[in-house]
Amino acid sequence: MSENKTDVPYGTLDLLILKTLDTMGPMHGYRIARRIEQVAENLLRLNQGSIYPALIRLEEQGFIRTQWGISETKRKVKFYSLTRAGAKQLGVAVANWERATALVARFLATAKLEAES
Amino acid sequence: MKLRFAAARLLALVRKRRLDEELEGEIFAHLELAERQAIAAGLSPEEARREARRGFGGIEQMKEDHRDQRSIQWMENLWRDIRYGMASLARDPGFAAVTIGLLALGVGANTAMFSIVDTVLLRPLPFPEPERMVRVWETPSATERNPTTTLTFLDWKRQSGIFEALAGEESFRAAVATGADPVRVSGKMVSADYFNVFGVKARMGRTFAPGEDQPGGTPGTIPVVVLSYAMWQTQFAGDPGVLKRELALDGEQHQIIGVLPKGSFDRDEARFWKPLIFARDQLNRRQHWLHVIGRLRSGVNIEQAQARMTALRASLAPVMPAWKKDWGFTVDPFARLLVGDTLRRSIYLTFGAVLLVLLIACANVANLVLAKGATRRKEMALRASLGASRGRLIVQLLAESLVLCVLGGMAGIAAAYVLLRAAAPLVATSLPFTADLSLDARVLGFAAAAVAAVLILTGLLPALQISFSKLSGSLNQAPRGSSGSSAAVRRSIVVGEVAISVVLICGAALLFKSLAKLQQVDAGVRIDHVITMSTDLPSTAYPTRESAAAFYIAVVERVRSAPGIEQASVSIGLPLQGVQWGEFINVAGGKERLLVRVKMVDPWYFATLGIPVESGRGIEGHDRAGAPPVMVINQETARHLSSKFEMANPVGRTVGTALPGYGPIPESVVSAQIVGVIRNERTGGLHAPIEPVVYVPLAQFPRQDISLVVRTRSEPLAAMPGIREAVRQVDPHLPLGEVRTMEQVKEQSMLWATQPTWVVGVFAGLAALMAALGLYGVLAHAVTQQRREIGIRMALGARPGDVVSHTLHSALSMLVVGLAAGLAGAFALTRVLKSLLFEVSALDPAALALACVLMILVGILAAAIPASRAAGVDPMTVLRDEG
Repeated sequence: MSENKTDVPYGTLDLLILKTLDTMGPMHGYRIARRIEQVAENLLRLNQGSIYPALIRLEEQGFIRTQWGISETKRKVKFYSLTRAGAKQLGVAVANWERATALVARFLATAKLEAES
Repeated sequence: MKLRFAAARLLALVRKRRLDEELEGEIFAHLELAERQAIAAGLSPEEARREARRGFGGIEQMKEDHRDQRSIQWMENLWRDIRYGMASLARDPGFAAVTIGLLALGVGANTAMFSIVDTVLLRPLPFPEPERMVRVWETPSATERNPTTTLTFLDWKRQSGIFEALAGEESFRAAVATGADPVRVSGKMVSADYFNVFGVKARMGRTFAPGEDQPGGTPGTIPVVVLSYAMWQTQFAGDPGVLKRELALDGEQHQIIGVLPKGSFDRDEARFWKPLIFARDQLNRRQHWLHVIGRLRSGVNIEQAQARMTALRASLAPVMPAWKKDWGFTVDPFARLLVGDTLRRSIYLTFGAVLLVLLIACANVANLVLAKGATRRKEMALRASLGASRGRLIVQLLAESLVLCVLGGMAGIAAAYVLLRAAAPLVATSLPFTADLSLDARVLGFAAAAVAAVLILTGLLPALQISFSKLSGSLNQAPRGSSGSSAAVRRSIVVGEVAISVVLICGAALLFKSLAKLQQVDAGVRIDHVITMSTDLPSTAYPTRESAAAFYIAVVERVRSAPGIEQASVSIGLPLQGVQWGEFINVAGGKERLLVRVKMVDPWYFATLGIPVESGRGIEGHDRAGAPPVMVINQETARHLSSKFEMANPVGRTVGTALPGYGPIPESVVSAQIVGVIRNERTGGLHAPIEPVVYVPLAQFPRQDISLVVRTRSEPLAAMPGIREAVRQVDPHLPLGEVRTMEQVKEQSMLWATQPTWVVGVFAGLAALMAALGLYGVLAHAVTQQRREIGIRMALGARPGDVVSHTLHSALSMLVVGLAAGLAGAFALTRVLKSLLFEVSALDPAALALACVLMILVGILAAAIPASRAAGVDPMTVLRDEG
C-alpha cells in the first residue's frame, strides 16, 4: 500500500457516490465502491463498508432510489440510481465544492505570493 | 423533503428488523463480489476472504453507524430518560411516595367523581333512542307537575297522535312469601304499552300484550306478572323453568309470563310489573293519580309534541271541569326528570370541588419538583456544560415527571376503584335507577386526560424554570441562599394553593352553616325514641272497611302492650316524607277552593308524635265509620281559611272535600266538621314551606297502605322484635317494611343537603392540608437554604425570636395574599352555592370570616415547624461548615 493515500475528505463521500451514479447509471453497492476506488486510482483509502450508511442516508433524503436486482454471484442485491432530486443535489454539491476549492486555492495562492515577495 | 425524511425514519423504526436483514444481505453480497475479484487477481481463497474484509473495513462499526443513522435519536433518548427518571425516583423514595400519593389522591377522587357525572348526567339512558322518551303531565301552572286523570290519559292516547307508546304507571307493594316470613316487594301496575315506551323486550317469555290491561280477562285464567332479572335471580334462583311457575302477590297467584333482560331495570325499586287495569270509578277527570310516560313517534321532537298537546288541551276544554280551565298539558324529556335539579347541582358542585383539589395536588407536586430541581442545578449545569441542549434537559425533566404522573395515575385509578366501591352504597339512594357506577373505558379515558393535564401542570413549569435559569453559575458554587426566581415561583404557587383552599373552605363553611340551620328547624314532631314502619293490608285478607278498621285498633293495642313501648298509632303518611294525598276543600257559599294535603290518622297519632292540639280536640275513638265525619286541621290550614274564607274560628265549621274510598269503593264527596286545630308538623322536608294539612279519622276513611308509628321508652330499634311479634300475633302474614327511626327519617329528608356538604367539607379539609403542606415545604426549604444567612444574623446578635418572626412573617405574607385572592374567588363562585343554601346568604360574613381564620390557623401551624428549626440553627456549626 502506498503511503500517500488519503482518507475520503470529510463530507465528500456523498458527492462521490452521487457523481458515480450520475455517470455510470444504476449499479449495486460493491460496484459503486469499486468505481470510486478505480477513479481515485491509488490516491484514496476507502473503507468500502462506509458507503452503505451513506447510501441509506441518501435514500432517506430522497436523492437516490433502490431496486432489487441480481448480482454477478447470483445474489439478490439492491441497485441504486439517481433520482431527479439527486441530480439537482449533485449540481448544488458540485457548485459548492468548486466554490470552496476555489476559495482555498485563492488563499493558498496569495499566501505563496506574500511568502515570495 | 423534511417530512419525507422524518417519515422514512419513522418507518425505519417500525421495520427495524427487516432493514437489518437487508443490510446483512447486502454486506454478504459485497464481500462475495470482492472475494471473487481477489481470486481472479490470483489470491488463494483464504487470502481473498481476508483481503475482502480488509477492504470493507469494520463490519460491526459500519452496522452501528447505520443504526445511529436510522433510529430516531430522541425516542431512544426518551426511553433512556424514563429509565433514568425511575432510577432517580427510586433513589429518593420519600419524594416519590409523597408525589405519587398526592397525584393518586387527586386523580383518584376526580376519576371517581367523573364516573358519577358520566353515568348520571352525561351518558344517555340505557334505552334505545332515549331522546324520544317523555313524561306527560297536567300542569296547574308553569312550574307545577301533576299526574293526570284516567279519562284525560285515555284522550291523550287516542287523540294526540304523537306517541308511539303511551303508558300509565302506579307503584304498589305486595307481600311475597319467601320461606316462612313474607316480604314486601315493590312493584308497578303499568299499561300494556309500558315496555314499548322503554323499548325493552323480555329476556325470556314476553311482556304484556296489547289489551292485556283491559278489564275482564279470559275466565279461568289468573293474572299475569313480569319479573325483573334481579327478582328472577333472588326469588327463583335463576330457574330456567320460571315461566311455568307462579308468583303469589298478597296471597293471590299470578302467572309469570316474562323476565326482563339483565341490567335494564335492576336498579329500579320495582321488581315485578302487572297490567294496570282501570277500575270503573277511576274513569273520571277529577282524580289526578296517573303518572304517564310515553315514547314519541320518530320524527316528532319535544317542541312539536308540546304544541300538539297544547292544541289537544284546547279541544278538550268542553269536557274539562270548569275549575281546571287554566290547567295545561306539558311534555318533559324523561332524562331531565330522572335527575332532579338539586342532584344535578350537588354533582356539579362536588365535581368542581374535586377538580380544585386536583389543582392543588398538582401545585404541590410542581412545588416539590421545583424544590428538588433547585438541588439539582449542579447536575443540570454539568450536563449542559457537557453538551446537553436545553431541549434535552427539558425532555429529561419531563420524562421524570411523566414517570411520576403515570405511576400516580395508575395509583389514582386504583384509588378511584376503591372509592367507587366504598361510595356506591352511600350515594345509590340519591342516584336515579339508570345509574350504574363503574370504571369503564370513558372513565379511564378521563383518567388518562387528567394525567396528561397533570403532566403539563406539574412537569412543564419546573422544567422550563430549571433549564432557562442561568446554569453556568451553578457549577462551581455551593447552594447558598435560595435562588431568587425559583423561590418566587414556588411562593406564588403556594399563594395559589392557599387561594383555592380558601374558596373551598368558604364553600364548606357556608354549607355547614346552612346544614346547621336546617338541623335546627323544628320538625313539629318528636324525633327521638320514635320508630316507623309501613305495611299494606292485602284485599284478600281485609276486604272491607270494617275489617281494616278492626285491624288498626287491634294492632295498636297489641303493640302498646309489647315491652318498652310507650305509645303506638296507625296512619297514612309520615312526617317529613311528603303527603301523597292532595285535595281541595271548599266552604258552602264560598267561591274559592283551598288545596290541602290529607292525612288519615288514628286517635293516637298526635299523642305518639307529640303534636299538641291548639284548640278543639283531636281525633277520638268514637270517630268511627257511621259516626258523623270529622276533620282536624293544622294551623297553616286555619290561617288560609281565615284569610281566604274569613273563617276566624274554624272549629265547629263544616267544609266539603272528596276523600278516597277503600279498595274498589269509589272516592266520595263528604262534608266534614272541623273539630280541632293542631300545631303544624313538617310534612315535606325541613326546608320545604309548611303546607296546609287536614287530618281525617282513619277509621272513617280506611286505607290499605298504612304506616305504624311507635314511641318507645329506650332505644327504638331494640324494640323492633317485640313490635314484629305483636304484629304477627294480629296477622301472621303481614310483612313490615321500611323500618326506620324518626332520626333516620329526618336524616334522609336532609340527604340532599348533607351529602354535598360533607363531600365539599372533606375536600376543603384536604385542600387546606395540601396547601399547608405546600407552605411547609417552601418554608422548610427556605430555612435549609438560608441556614448560613440565619447563622450570620444570629452571630451578629439576632435572637431566636427574631428568626422565628422572620419565618412567620414570610408565611403570613403568602397567607394574606392567598386569602385575598381566595375571598375574591369565593365572592365570584359562592353564587353557585345559592340554590343549595338554606336560610344562609352566599356571602354570609360569619362563615367567610371563619373560613379565613381556619386557613390562617392551619397556615401558621404549617409554618411553626420550619420557624422553630430556624430558631434552632447554631451559628457556630453553620459558619464552621461553610467557612
